[in-house]
Amino acid sequence: MNSQTATRTPSSRSRSLAAQRKMMDRFATVLSWCATFLVVFVLGSILWTLLKNGLPGLTAALFTRSMGAPGQGGGLANAIVGSLLQTGLAILLGAPAGLMTGIYLAEYGSTSRLARAVRFVSDMLLSAPSILIGLFIYMVLVAPLGHFSGFAGAVALAILAMPIMVRTTEDMLRLVPVAMREAGIALGAPKWRVILFICVRAARGGILTGVLLAIARVAGETAPLLFTSLGNSEWSLDMRRPMASLPVAIYQYAGSAYQDWMQQAWTGALLVTLGVLIINIVVRVGIRAGRT
Amino acid sequence: MNGQAMNSTMQAEPLDTNTAQATPLAIQVRNLDFYYGKSRALHGISLDFPERSVTGMIGPSGCGKSTLLRVLNRMYDLYPGQKATGEVLYDGQNILAPGVDLNQLRSRIGMVFQKPTPFPMSIYDNIAFGIRLHERVGRSEMDGRVEDALRRVALWPEVKDRLQASATALSGGQQQRLCIARTIATRPEVILLDEPTSALDPVSTARIEELLDELKTEFTIAIVTHNMQQAARCADQVAFFYLGELVEVDSTARMFTTPRESRTQDYITGRFG
Repeated sequence: MNSQTATRTPSSRSRSLAAQRKMMDRFATVLSWCATFLVVFVLGSILWTLLKNGLPGLTAALFTRSMGAPGQGGGLANAIVGSLLQTGLAILLGAPAGLMTGIYLAEYGSTSRLARAVRFVSDMLLSAPSILIGLFIYMVLVAPLGHFSGFAGAVALAILAMPIMVRTTEDMLRLVPVAMREAGIALGAPKWRVILFICVRAARGGILTGVLLAIARVAGETAPLLFTSLGNSEWSLDMRRPMASLPVAIYQYAGSAYQDWMQQAWTGALLVTLGVLIINIVVRVGIRAGRT
Repeated sequence: MNGQAMNSTMQAEPLDTNTAQATPLAIQVRNLDFYYGKSRALHGISLDFPERSVTGMIGPSGCGKSTLLRVLNRMYDLYPGQKATGEVLYDGQNILAPGVDLNQLRSRIGMVFQKPTPFPMSIYDNIAFGIRLHERVGRSEMDGRVEDALRRVALWPEVKDRLQASATALSGGQQQRLCIARTIATRPEVILLDEPTSALDPVSTARIEELLDELKTEFTIAIVTHNMQQAARCADQVAFFYLGELVEVDSTARMFTTPRESRTQDYITGRFG
């Protein structure tokens, strides 16, 4: 490249300009590499620290025994199950509303004033501090009933998950070509049938990705649970009572002064991270499969 | 079976005595104006579509051919800013009038698009989707209907062993034939084709043109095309549009040998467009 320019215009001025540009190019390349390294390093070191500190605590007892007093050999079984229950219920509650709102925004509302307002509020929710959601549910579902509950935790998580699913559903439906919609309409299909059986079907990979992303997002949330499901050291599947969860258990154990609790906090953090990592990998593989 | 149904409806309907057409008319367009918002895209179009023959619509881009096609099945209704005035008579009824059952209308006037639009489902379900919309059909009858539709477009030998495979995996030409099969499977009376071969290779194009020849024994066909040779090969009558006006309409032979209008002459000899 450089030699080519030089032969075409063999003046010293263009040669020095080329040299200068080459220098700039190298500088920018090195800078980009450094930045990339920094990001990967941070991520890698988090994972490494988690693995190093978390793996030793990864025992069978962790999955079979509930949380216990320090030195009593408790596990995290109730926290793991609590997290699964609350996240699961959150998605069950949030997904229908999220998906249907996304469908409304993409297919029915489009540019109407109501749709614009809904889109704005949903995007606001997407970036609202999660502790605020926790406080809101505390006022609505905890204080009036007089006790913390797993159900309140799930509702808080559902509110966090909803806007993610709204956005991905709307975006994915907008990617469905107009021609496909018109083809459905041209066969004499009513609009709802075209949306449900053609558009949603065409976008199903992307919509599912949104749901998985929402799961990954809320599975690690701590703040909204502190004011809602509170945490519980005993085994409990009753959603009407306070319920344990991994993030809250980590928060509680990591701040303690006991060696075995701190060990379990590391291991719990490793479990949450691995869970989110696996969901993200599934999403990526899913997207790749959906493209081909 | 469909032909019989069509015959009886056409016999019941009084024929338009103003035109000297020998064949009965499937659709009559009268003084049609069309607006995209404030801009007028069609100016006082009057055009007859004879039953069971191919009407070719030619003209330079943006002259209103596709717009007219999208009026015939009221596709423009999807878009709030678009408006048609005038009359389109089909089966004794003005289909532009309010209160027309659009889903039923579209089941009788099918449409095939420029780009193949297979639905994201199996080959079988692509055909069955349209049938299920309008009829309750048992499993074995549905199998027969799907096979029949695929045979009609000569796609059956190519896909009979993979009916449950995704339709999006077919080639472009196969996809377009599937779309035609999907349209005829619902047993319409009229088929509108909007440049159905412009996205296809020459071999696929030839197959679809052959197919049109067969289909016109049973269906009324309106085809928009940019390809003059295609119009000459496939159409029985040709309508030439220019700047939203219908310049002239005549039998294909006369249109391409002795057009009455100089603008038609200029266009078909390639002087503009």
